[in-house]
Amino acid sequence: MTPSPLTPPASSSAKHRKPHPVATRPGPRTTLAVLVGRATSATVRRLGIGGGTSLPGLIARGIDPKLTTRLSAQLRHGSIVVTGTNGKTTTSGMVGAVLRGAGMRVWQNREGSNLARGIATALLKHAHASGSLRDGGDAAFVFELDEAAFRRVLPELRPKVVLVTNLFRDQLDRYGEVDTVAERWREGLKRVDATTTLIANADDPSVAALADIHPGPVLFYGVNEAPSVVEGDARIQVIDTRTCPRCRGLLSYSVRYYSHVGHWSCTHCGFARPTPTVFASAVTLASLDGAQLTLTRPDGTAQARITLPGLYNVYNAVAAAAVGYVEGTPLSPAVEALARFSPAFGRAERIQARGRTVQILLAKNPTGLNEVLRALGADGRRHHLLMLLNDRAADGEDVSWIWDADFEQVPALAERVSAGGTRAFDMALRLKYAGLTPYAVESDIPKAFERALEATPVGESLYVIPTYTAMLAVRGELSRLGFAPRYWELPQDE
Amino acid sequence: MSNPRAEVRLRLGHLYPDQLNMYGDRGNILTLLRRCEWRGIRLDVVPLDIGDELDGTQLDMLFIGGGQDKEQDEVAQDLRERKGDALRAAVEADMPVLGVCGGYQFLAKYYHPAEGPDLEGAGIFDAWTIHKGKSVARCIGNVAITWGASTLVGFENHGGRTYLGPTMKPLGQVMAGHGNNSEDKGEGCVYRNTYGTYIHGSLLPKNPHLADHLLGLALERTHGADARTLLTSHPLDDTLEWQAHERMLKRLGLTPRAHAFAQAS
Repeated sequence: MTPSPLTPPASSSAKHRKPHPVATRPGPRTTLAVLVGRATSATVRRLGIGGGTSLPGLIARGIDPKLTTRLSAQLRHGSIVVTGTNGKTTTSGMVGAVLRGAGMRVWQNREGSNLARGIATALLKHAHASGSLRDGGDAAFVFELDEAAFRRVLPELRPKVVLVTNLFRDQLDRYGEVDTVAERWREGLKRVDATTTLIANADDPSVAALADIHPGPVLFYGVNEAPSVVEGDARIQVIDTRTCPRCRGLLSYSVRYYSHVGHWSCTHCGFARPTPTVFASAVTLASLDGAQLTLTRPDGTAQARITLPGLYNVYNAVAAAAVGYVEGTPLSPAVEALARFSPAFGRAERIQARGRTVQILLAKNPTGLNEVLRALGADGRRHHLLMLLNDRAADGEDVSWIWDADFEQVPALAERVSAGGTRAFDMALRLKYAGLTPYAVESDIPKAFERALEATPVGESLYVIPTYTAMLAVRGELSRLGFAPRYWELPQDE
Repeated sequence: MSNPRAEVRLRLGHLYPDQLNMYGDRGNILTLLRRCEWRGIRLDVVPLDIGDELDGTQLDMLFIGGGQDKEQDEVAQDLRERKGDALRAAVEADMPVLGVCGGYQFLAKYYHPAEGPDLEGAGIFDAWTIHKGKSVARCIGNVAITWGASTLVGFENHGGRTYLGPTMKPLGQVMAGHGNNSEDKGEGCVYRNTYGTYIHGSLLPKNPHLADHLLGLALERTHGADARTLLTSHPLDDTLEWQAHERMLKRLGLTPRAHAFAQAS
């Protein structure tokens, strides 16, 4: 089945989009759900027991199971759903920045609240007790949605845009194998309206193949020209998709950027990377401070700059620019917004601590970690690193993935490496077999951080590379020590 | 290298490195590589892909890892039809072989999937694996088993339940976790010098005694009984390995047992 060609949106469409017909109008049940949900939110906040990003939604959905549908249907600029293994939070942040840059009101769900209950909690924040949205629903809502919740929540949101970034192996014990995740995406997409636009990464074969089953228009984005993996490194890349998503023939690449991302074609059936409509070219990855690229959309070409490291963040930026295009917003404010975009919480965030700069680079799967290390190695200097490995449910309890990541490049780019987290000794062992002696091994994250920070000379940077819950822990420690605000105190939305 | 002897060399055949590389299998290869390198032993890793011939005279040990369900049938067919006879001959000639997860299942008689026809294995182990359907929970989690007087630790994640025939011995007894089938307390299987197990994590880094046991078997078989002393004459500092091992035991509420060079007889 051929995806229908995407017609360039009229620039006025962003302002005058009709809301979805509300088949399920808010009623007394919705009012009760909103009131109880909001009261829960306030209580959680007052007790100081955390950000309260999921409990209110859980309770409110219990009262009105259709709450998510009833609220999201009122959004005048619709829902934009962002999913994919790596880069969801950063990409969602960039999408929000691009749309706001064009003057739109944008609401977003909070990091770590990307399951059904978190989505409902986020919507509740913008609802009146009557069950209608604030500001007459004159907003776009950018939802970061977990792969595991995609199939169930996607139809509830009736999205205007679904953006799928990439598919890598990630937490096999929690999500299952990559084919299982692709199947969940397909099942979710089959249940959206034909008015939903799918924005898909052309350079990731399993993501590009989603166009085969998507009922509505499709826009592909990608990278046309950038530094690629050199031949000798191909063997140590973690390649999660080797075969054609259509016929299972072997894939071949004219260019491989990382893992299975690049310019691919099937040697058997001829299925090949679709030509992207929105793309980056002339990409330069100078250092950890950012990247430069030429950004092309059907409405023009511009020089763009981002302040985040690595080619993976270039992909995130191009994806955000593609959403801006579908929403009918112009190119130049998008480019300006991307240049100004500051990192999402815990993603390349820079924090000053006792004369050192602490930079947190989240890495939760082999490809993510490989790309973080590649970015660290780009400036040819030796860095101070703290690797934090936790094995809680949100990290994946199976830590075997660290053996698939290319730690063999660490000796060349590290001055000193420490290990911490619930699986600090597994991490230390991984470093040992990569030819490094860890400076400190501490299961306790505050202790590990303290030792690594003290061992970093004043004026230099400490790069903390944590898994998800380890990131929360080290971020919490930075707040406790007064170096950074608590995450629920960070500015959000407008 | 400080090794005064002529260079001792081992050749490790790595079966289907592109298809079966799912659960940190690279960690097992790296562990064998480094532990040889640190002792001045040269270990050459020979990739054996689909279509390649397996020549037992050119190899000293074999490793086969786990993979995605989707990629299993081509591998099973190649293992059975192209490499099966040579593999069985090597096993009967006491070559050390390690199969982990999917690789373990391939070494057994057959795999009965949740849907679709049975997959025939290499038949080294008199054992079979049954997937009881998607509604039956997978065996997922940390695992510890006995191994002789010692222990093995790691992580398991398998949908199939494996059952051993009456003449087969398990690798060890489950202390915590599921093992072969979460019913009979057995984990893994041993036949001659062929070892199958569901334990990854990776398996060998935190179980250095098993890594050295396999290397010892290969050294002795290829270079004679004397060559095994290369392991003891170059003892390695395994403090970190055992710290990681014992942390897992303690977390599972188990008391560490003797470990140094403990072997299943």
